Amino acid sequence: MKLKRAITFSLIMLVLLGAMSVGVYGQQEDVTNIKFWHAMGGTRVDFIKRMVEDFNLIHPNVEVKVAYKGSYRETLTATQAAARTGNAPHVIQSFEIGTRENIDSGLFIPAGELIDEYGIEVEWDDYIDSALNYYRVGGKLWGFPWNSSNAILYYNKDKFEEAGVSLSTKPTFQEVVDVSQKLVDSGVVEGGITWPLHSWFFEQWMAEQGQVLVNKGNGREGRPDKIYLDSEPAKRIFSWWKELYDKDLWINPGVEAWSQANSLFLGETVAMEITSTSDVTGMEKNAAENGFELGTTYIPIPDGTERNGQAVGGGNLWITEGHSDAQLKAAVEFALWMSNIENSVRWHKGTGYFPIRKSAVDILEREGWFEASPNSDTAFNQLLDTKANPATAGALIGPFRQVRNIVTDAFQKVMSGTSVDKALEEANQKAKTAIEEYQEIATS
Amino acid sequence: MRSKYPGKILPLILLAPTLIVSVLFLYYPAGMSFRLSLFKTLFMGRKKIFNGIGNFVSLFTSPEYLGIVGKSFIFSFSVVVGGLVIGLGIALLANRKVRGARLYRTGLIWPYALSPAIAGTIWLFLFNPNTGMLTYIMEVMFGIKPDWLASGPLSMFMVIVAATWKNLGYNIIFFLAGLQNVPGEFLEAADVDGANIFQKFWHITLPLLSPTIFFLVVMNMIYSFFRTFALIDIMTQGGPAGATNIMIFNLYRDAFKYFKSGIAASQSLLLFVLVSILTLIQFKTSGRGVYYGG
Amino acid sequence: MVSPSTRDKLATFFTHFALIFLVLLIASPIIFALIASTQSTSTILNYPPQFLPGKAIVNNFTVAWTEYNLGRLMLNSTMIAIAVTVGKTIISIAAAMALVYFDFPFKSLIFIIILLTLLLPVPVRIVSLFDLVRQLGMADTFYAMIFPFFASATGTFLFRQHFQSIPDSLADAARVDGAGPLRFLTQVLVPMSMNTIGALAVIQFIYMWNQYLWPLIIMQSENKQVIQLGLKMLTGSGRAGVKPWGPAMAGSIIAMLPPLLIFLLLQEQFMKGFALKEEK
Repeated sequence: MKLKRAITFSLIMLVLLGAMSVGVYGQQEDVTNIKFWHAMGGTRVDFIKRMVEDFNLIHPNVEVKVAYKGSYRETLTATQAAARTGNAPHVIQSFEIGTRENIDSGLFIPAGELIDEYGIEVEWDDYIDSALNYYRVGGKLWGFPWNSSNAILYYNKDKFEEAGVSLSTKPTFQEVVDVSQKLVDSGVVEGGITWPLHSWFFEQWMAEQGQVLVNKGNGREGRPDKIYLDSEPAKRIFSWWKELYDKDLWINPGVEAWSQANSLFLGETVAMEITSTSDVTGMEKNAAENGFELGTTYIPIPDGTERNGQAVGGGNLWITEGHSDAQLKAAVEFALWMSNIENSVRWHKGTGYFPIRKSAVDILEREGWFEASPNSDTAFNQLLDTKANPATAGALIGPFRQVRNIVTDAFQKVMSGTSVDKALEEANQKAKTAIEEYQEIATS
Repeated sequence: MRSKYPGKILPLILLAPTLIVSVLFLYYPAGMSFRLSLFKTLFMGRKKIFNGIGNFVSLFTSPEYLGIVGKSFIFSFSVVVGGLVIGLGIALLANRKVRGARLYRTGLIWPYALSPAIAGTIWLFLFNPNTGMLTYIMEVMFGIKPDWLASGPLSMFMVIVAATWKNLGYNIIFFLAGLQNVPGEFLEAADVDGANIFQKFWHITLPLLSPTIFFLVVMNMIYSFFRTFALIDIMTQGGPAGATNIMIFNLYRDAFKYFKSGIAASQSLLLFVLVSILTLIQFKTSGRGVYYGG
Repeated sequence: MVSPSTRDKLATFFTHFALIFLVLLIASPIIFALIASTQSTSTILNYPPQFLPGKAIVNNFTVAWTEYNLGRLMLNSTMIAIAVTVGKTIISIAAAMALVYFDFPFKSLIFIIILLTLLLPVPVRIVSLFDLVRQLGMADTFYAMIFPFFASATGTFLFRQHFQSIPDSLADAARVDGAGPLRFLTQVLVPMSMNTIGALAVIQFIYMWNQYLWPLIIMQSENKQVIQLGLKMLTGSGRAGVKPWGPAMAGSIIAMLPPLLIFLLLQEQFMKGFALKEEK
């Protein structure tokens, strides 16, 4: 009996000691805690978790707590809500079109300012320009580059062979119509092509034609007061899209239905899909699983126009205000770490988002990555071929989200019978109103 | 007259928690929200301009908003009527004395336990114009492949079906409870008098069910106007081109996607007033016809 | 003419037939989801849809459970749902008691004030509610998920209805016995209200289990989050490549189970609790 008690007592003491030591050691001295919120779902939740764990391991004085908050919009909502408590997350991932809003909200500190203030050395030359240009406003760099993408055309090589068709690497609108028609006629697939019914593609096609969405240098040189949704380039896009729809060559996966579109392509209901380069890795894997070979080309452009390039899509990292110096410094370190060379390689390989560091690209080339993955190669070349001008720098619009809805609504009206001209004129008017309303309040 | 306990303090103490929570967490924030409706705002109120009743004026004079109100009515009317008629039909069937009645009842009611998000996801899956089960069935049976999501009326149909399905269980439960309170003797007496099924239903069952019906109309209205956001968000996001954009969805979108919380608050005030009026009308018209029994 | 007994048999047969058909019809969406949860994502994406269960069941459920931390989230949701249900029940019974067994000025007005809260759902007050909860220091705590839900118009209404249907004689008898109102409440009313309590418990549990927008805004720590948010991660919004449909359906099934379980366990009470008059 006595022995038993002694043993029990010792065990308890040991446990207590253990707990206390964990308490002592667990309580690291001078640990700066920062929070990072992002919008990358699905398998990326884990991927990012591991990246953050690595950061924490290498930086013992900083502890980053990461959370997936849903879509870009939800992440932003949660951030704004948290900011009202004075409890904003330190680093968040925002989508590219939130740039104007983010600046106007006063919630964020420009990346450039922070870097200057803390005297941190950054090799900006090593970054790919297009990834940076989007986020440079009024001479300041606002966000830390991270996940940038373009639109790209994926196709099913097997089905192409079966139907005896082929597509040039830099196709035109008409080519796509013809190839789709042949594919459907030959009976190998139900539809020729698909892409999510999303304004993003429309915006990229505008950029490819060198058309800005709004005036004043696409909104970058001042508050815009003219919108170009009813311009010739816009009408060209809608007319072609309508043609594909009317001929049942373009299958509608749904509004912003990214994964639906993927399903249609991977399930071989269609032989072509236009979607984001950020999915390259996933697409290759899934195509292989579904037993066909994946090919890629640049996105098609209107016949007779010169290829101008696209604005980068995706998002990047923003740092909020209202924190201590230590926290801000840690946040900057973290944000820059996410786009360091090693992580650029890792992130690109794991997802398909562009490697935004030139050194990263070198490493990948030396590894033979682009040879082994010709699709990543195509995507990257498309990015490099982009000309630098306001159209490809991306539009700065306050109520961008609303404008995007207006655009998708407009095409839906076209699908149910409204003429392209009328739909775009109405859309233009609505967008103008939305922007004016926004500017009235934002500049108050 | 019911006998009451004396004392004025005790009842107030008993009511205190409910009243405190109601005032603190419900009325006060609602009041603040309504105050917000007098402003034009951005970024959750970080920027705001006082606009008086300007928000309301622009809502009332906006053909788009009036269209949204119209769609909300169509949606709610369909969900309420559909839910009640189908619910009653099923309840009548399930009320019959057959073996395994209890099992049947469970089997008919349980979707009520699902979240609108799950229900929306599953129905979206089924209605998928390219790979969905229902599309397949339509093709097999009628040879057409409806493009559910691209057509305004079809999308509206889709969300009505999903919303009604989700709430059926709720209606069936209450109807079953109500049916079980129809005294057997009344129906037997009617049998003796030679009444047929329809006459029994119309003259006995239905009037006795009136409190249930009245209650369910109000609850279904509240459900269809207020609690269907998640479903619409998942299935159609108000599309195509605003075809399924009902008041609650538009309000959420303005508040949380466009960050225009001022005008969103105005819309929530209007929604509140609208549903209150409808409920009041319900009380006035059916209150008289409701038979509570002895 | 058909004999009455044959007619009865036919009626019974058709009733069974109709009921089975309806049950299957109502359950069909879930059946499809269940089948999908056993198939791999690529199988699910095929058309025409496959009706046979696949072999990916273990993988799907494992992925859903482990990679998305569903266990923890379900625990949180359960704790919150139980706390709210218990709190709401007690508070609603107290309120109903006051409204039925006492007389005091403005009684009807107070009842209406309570009922009107049905018209003030979360969307109408969410921004201000957030500010308030923050000021009370409850942001990112479970209290924020519990206290704002403590008052219940439905509960008060149901208990009031129920109490009104209890014969006067009982209250009188208790009075004669010298029992005060509180003893009457705990020893007579509550035991007689078990059905209503069970019914309310089912509704409240389900309601809290399905909370989505409020927890999204008010809870920041990932390990304090609730199950609907976890599902959201699974079905993934925004550009998440191909949705992991297999695990997503599996996750939906998992998330469905607790409310379903509560419902099945408390069925009897649930059915009886909503009777507007006494059961014979």
